[in-house]
Amino acid sequence: MRKAFLATIVLLVVACATYTSRMELSRDLYDGGRYGDALTNLDKLVKDAAERDYYLFLLERGKVELAAGAYDSAIVDLQKAERRFLEIEGTVSVADLFKNMLVNPSMGEYQSEPHEKIMISSYLLLAYWLKGDREGAFVERNRLVERLKQYTTGLSDQDRAALDVPFAHYLAAVLYEIEGREDDARIEYDVLGKIAPEVVPSVLDSKLDELIVFTEVGRAPVKVSTEIRGYLQKDGASLVGFFNLPGSNGPQMFMLPGFGGLSLDKPGVLFTFAFPQCVKERRVVERCKLVVDGIEAGEMKPLDNLENTAYAAYERDLGATLLKAAFRTYLKTVVQTKLGKEDDAKGIAFNVLGKVLAAVDRADTRSWQTLPAEIRVFRMECGPGERKVSLRCLDARGTVVGASSSVSISGERDRKKIVFLI
Amino acid sequence: MKKLLVPVLCLLFIAACGGTYTKEVDLSKDTAENADFSSADLARITDGMMSSIQANGFIQQYVAEHAGQKPVMLLAKELKNNTDEHINTRLILEKIRTRMINEGTAQFVDDQAFDTALEQLNLQASDLYDNTKAAKIGKFVGAKYVLRGTISNIRKRSGREDINYMNVTMDIFEVETLLIKWTNEVEFKRVSTKGALR
Repeated sequence: MRKAFLATIVLLVVACATYTSRMELSRDLYDGGRYGDALTNLDKLVKDAAERDYYLFLLERGKVELAAGAYDSAIVDLQKAERRFLEIEGTVSVADLFKNMLVNPSMGEYQSEPHEKIMISSYLLLAYWLKGDREGAFVERNRLVERLKQYTTGLSDQDRAALDVPFAHYLAAVLYEIEGREDDARIEYDVLGKIAPEVVPSVLDSKLDELIVFTEVGRAPVKVSTEIRGYLQKDGASLVGFFNLPGSNGPQMFMLPGFGGLSLDKPGVLFTFAFPQCVKERRVVERCKLVVDGIEAGEMKPLDNLENTAYAAYERDLGATLLKAAFRTYLKTVVQTKLGKEDDAKGIAFNVLGKVLAAVDRADTRSWQTLPAEIRVFRMECGPGERKVSLRCLDARGTVVGASSSVSISGERDRKKIVFLI
Repeated sequence: MKKLLVPVLCLLFIAACGGTYTKEVDLSKDTAENADFSSADLARITDGMMSSIQANGFIQQYVAEHAGQKPVMLLAKELKNNTDEHINTRLILEKIRTRMINEGTAQFVDDQAFDTALEQLNLQASDLYDNTKAAKIGKFVGAKYVLRGTISNIRKRSGREDINYMNVTMDIFEVETLLIKWTNEVEFKRVSTKGALR
């Protein structure tokens, strides 16, 4: 009996490996530029994924495929994921709700953050453009503008600075310029001017031959499951909990009004809960210099700090995350202290259930982890003819720590040549 | 016995829910599934455009002025897609072309057959073929008119609601003069609301 119980616990713990830990190898391979190996690993993750994580893994794979130049596959994966995320947007699954509350919050289907949905459209636009499908890219630009309107309308200036995606506005503006729609381009640059004024081009001329290079620096922050310890005590008709949250000043307090049905034999009980701690990743590359035909053309300018956007989204959701954690904590405590205190079979069963609930408690660490920490841009006048473009990457002390592969661009039909270097 | 009945019925119900279910849809009763462009819209656009072409009088005037000859037209490469959806816009043009040919409204030059026809003409002009029966070169017919158009949309999505306005504008212009001989638009607006529960 005891062996079966332990085996169940072990199985549940293994099955509940966090998203961040499952993605670790793929992320490392991707960051190391080993796209083929990263894709092999992601293929396996996609194949084995439960439905709740399936579409998020598709996003990860789509992003790696884009970096690897497999544009058609990237489009298929990103579109499939996008379709699902839009389908479930604003809806609630009762089954997911119960699983979230009773087991852990990663048991429900992943609902992507607004900035992630904007990035899906941005990458789809790039994928269509880079594979040479102009019309497809214009359609994606239209979708992107629609997403930006949907997710950023009504945001205060402060929230817009934190949650908007300047990269998306920039891309949309460039595509409008290419199409000769300068008025529409100006609207996007005006929005951009409020959040990233330093990258707005001083002259808007759709007939000017220009090279526009985007690159990604660093990794988006990831969430890790951290065990938080706290103390729960009865206070009149309510329960009051205290706990220390990493990175916050002093203990946090929460109240569960009306849950005083919990009879504590002691003045209080200790509890633990799994909390998704957002961790910013260490950056090696701090600066990037663009090299055109072997000559250093200039330093890439910061365009979009997605690390800050992801962190702002995390902080915005923190209240709801803690509320759910408080409910799960209450549930576990009730099962273990009240229902499981009897020595009869029912009491033992509740005790076991309490232990199982404690063992499977995991924080929801899901997020799009192959997103970068930052996107940078460089724009220069560039006449027709073939050019070889690459990047030189430097650390904080100015030491060269790497270089991108060289990309050849030739005289195409468009005056604006878009290059995406990773 | 009663204890067994409930689980058995549940299992039967679950089993009945499994498998793939396919049914044929009557295209004349086709309806949109959501606010996006659908096959039902394709029929609506074709019907709208065809009745407008018939009512316009330009074709009838051409036939009267050219001793019963129908005008020769060409399809634009594609309908300009200004929407936020990846739509096979060529399908709309081809559907209208099919109706115009089948209803005897106009003749069309095949814009996509040029390379194949040229290849055939070259082959038939070679010694491999009987030159007396070979297709002759210099008989291609130039189009006098081009059928083209634009499809655009304005969408507003908020929460579970998706509001989509769509507009398809088409015209026929004369190649020689650039004069627009016929134009029409078909527009519709749809609101689709998702259920709160999934």
